Amino acid sequence: MLVHDLRLALRSLRRNPILSALMIGAIAVGIAASMIAITLYHARSGHPIPWKSDKLFAVTLDTRDDEPPQSFERHPEYPPFQLTYRDARALYASKIPVHAAMMYMSGQVVTPANKSVKPFGAATRLTTADFFTMFDVPFIYGTGWSRAEDEAPGAVVVLSKFMNQKLFGGANSIGREVVLDGRPYRVVGVLAAWMPRPKYYDLNNSGGIDVPEDIFIPFGWMRTGKLMSHGNTNCVSRRAKIEGFDSLLTQDCVWLQYWVEFRNGADRDRFQVFADNYANAEREHGRFPRKNNNRVVDVQTWLSMYDVIGDDSRMQLVLGFVFLGVCVLNTLGLMLAKFLSAAPISGLRRALGARRIDIIRQHLIEVIVVGLLGGAVGMTLTLGGLAYLKVLLFSSMLAHSDNPDRVALVQSLVHMDIPVMAAAIMLSLLTGVLAGLYPAYRIGRLAPATFLKTQ
Amino acid sequence: MIQMQNVSKIFRTDVVETHALRDLTLKVEAGEFVAITGHSGSGKTTFLNVAGLLEEFNGGRYTFDGQDVSRLTDNQRSRIRNEKIGFIFQGFNLIPDLNMYHNVEAPLHYRGMPGPERHRRITAALDRVGLSTRTKHIPSQLSGGQQQRAAIARAICGDPRVILADEPTGNLDTTMSSQIMELLLQINATGTTILMVTHNPELAQRAHRQFHIVDGRIDQIHQFRPLQSPQAVASHGL
Repeated sequence: MLVHDLRLALRSLRRNPILSALMIGAIAVGIAASMIAITLYHARSGHPIPWKSDKLFAVTLDTRDDEPPQSFERHPEYPPFQLTYRDARALYASKIPVHAAMMYMSGQVVTPANKSVKPFGAATRLTTADFFTMFDVPFIYGTGWSRAEDEAPGAVVVLSKFMNQKLFGGANSIGREVVLDGRPYRVVGVLAAWMPRPKYYDLNNSGGIDVPEDIFIPFGWMRTGKLMSHGNTNCVSRRAKIEGFDSLLTQDCVWLQYWVEFRNGADRDRFQVFADNYANAEREHGRFPRKNNNRVVDVQTWLSMYDVIGDDSRMQLVLGFVFLGVCVLNTLGLMLAKFLSAAPISGLRRALGARRIDIIRQHLIEVIVVGLLGGAVGMTLTLGGLAYLKVLLFSSMLAHSDNPDRVALVQSLVHMDIPVMAAAIMLSLLTGVLAGLYPAYRIGRLAPATFLKTQ
Repeated sequence: MIQMQNVSKIFRTDVVETHALRDLTLKVEAGEFVAITGHSGSGKTTFLNVAGLLEEFNGGRYTFDGQDVSRLTDNQRSRIRNEKIGFIFQGFNLIPDLNMYHNVEAPLHYRGMPGPERHRRITAALDRVGLSTRTKHIPSQLSGGQQQRAAIARAICGDPRVILADEPTGNLDTTMSSQIMELLLQINATGTTILMVTHNPELAQRAHRQFHIVDGRIDQIHQFRPLQSPQAVASHGL
């Protein structure tokens, strides 16, 4: 019977191709709008390191002056997202975390050994040693450096896979030399493919849509090389004044990201007390004028505080579904018109012995076919729309970049993966059924004799 | 076969109430050919719709093939329509985008009949009405007479007890009408009961009896020829 109903559905769609095309088109546009919104939302809403949900925490301290929030502050209720050098140093002294990393992004000039290749700039992360262990960063060659090399600082470097490819053709470069800002560094590690999405450990500037840095060197090079931050630096006190690199180390200006890993929840609570006690002690010296508002937050909370999945994303998602709803209503109207125009045939089928349920099922099969066809067209429109968005939103990110990871990142943001595709198919079916349920029911309820004379 | 006792049918709207059938009482024997006549609006088609279980009635008692149909569910009514009643309409009521084969097949689908059995019945029915060479034609490719014959094939392929024909020759010329009438008489001769609404007195006179309806009631009954016994009908079959 289902095969029979399917044949009837296809025949019915062919009978009125323009109306059928309008219905399929309406569903397709609705599906495309909602799927684009879902895809973008889905790309941002993933958990970048779920296996450490209960262990990994970002730390922030509220060092701000006790003044009314400034108009540009999106979330005045949160403390600044970064730490001052002084505070980071103080927290780093704690033995409560099993791992801790203070870090920031800078930039250096790389001078390749091959003289035919011009020196070029590269994003550099200056970090303490635990970074690699704490974030489970994968290596293809070697490993990170020791804590001792943080302070020395050791002239060692970890390269991204891309940078190793660029400088050494992808070969095992452990022990080889890389010249950064004219100073030689020994390669101790090369990362495997690693692209946390979003780039949660540093959400400055990019909002998380960026690839990891290509070069990692010990944090101590910050002072030795006087390497300024390439991320945000915000002074949170009116008294603070930046006059060259050294003032960054003493003034109440935040520019360092700080992450910790705990063994268990109790350690997290102990560390919160430790941070609060530190703030209390500093308050005695005229800092931390506000009440304690220090946060030790897990990754998902951190992403939420940073609005990685912000109101805009949520609004886009809601609008996508509202648009789909409008399309469903339009399709419902079209289906009702189509089914009623074919009511005499349904009346005839009832006269010939079809039960109400036979008529309803036959029409439901038709709406499911319409839904699936609309879904197929909708997915094509979605792919086209995502390709357009890729150009529209990320062209500047891809410009002047020879890093394939960056291309892969953008691709992943506008990519429909299997769960999203499955959602699209389910949504198509649901849309078809929602749009067709009432018309199918209505046509099934008609008395058989109603339209026989007009058939 | 069909027995109605004081059956009434009222159509109601917000402002008007129309009594289409008023205490209609009649009895049609199995194997009988009955012509239903009457002026437009007299209630002929309503009677046929009620008789064919296409419409509910408001009062009275209706027994079809020995079964009181007033309390049947919609599914039970559908089943009776499918298995015991064949319909023929003035406008042929063929499904426009189905060929003759699939048009005739339609009621058999709802009976859940296996494919080979369906095929046997369809070819036999189309052969019987002389359309075995037109199975692939869609309705618009056939003449009115051919379409009505296809509709008759659809009505008889399920081997019904009763055929209800609503002005089956109304859209046909005299020659074609005569052919259709002959076909119906042949079908009736095999024992199938036929109730035929018609405006044509000559055709009506070829039935066993004629019921003339006025204002929803049987006004006159004419007997034109006696109904043969079931045994005689069986031996007279095609």
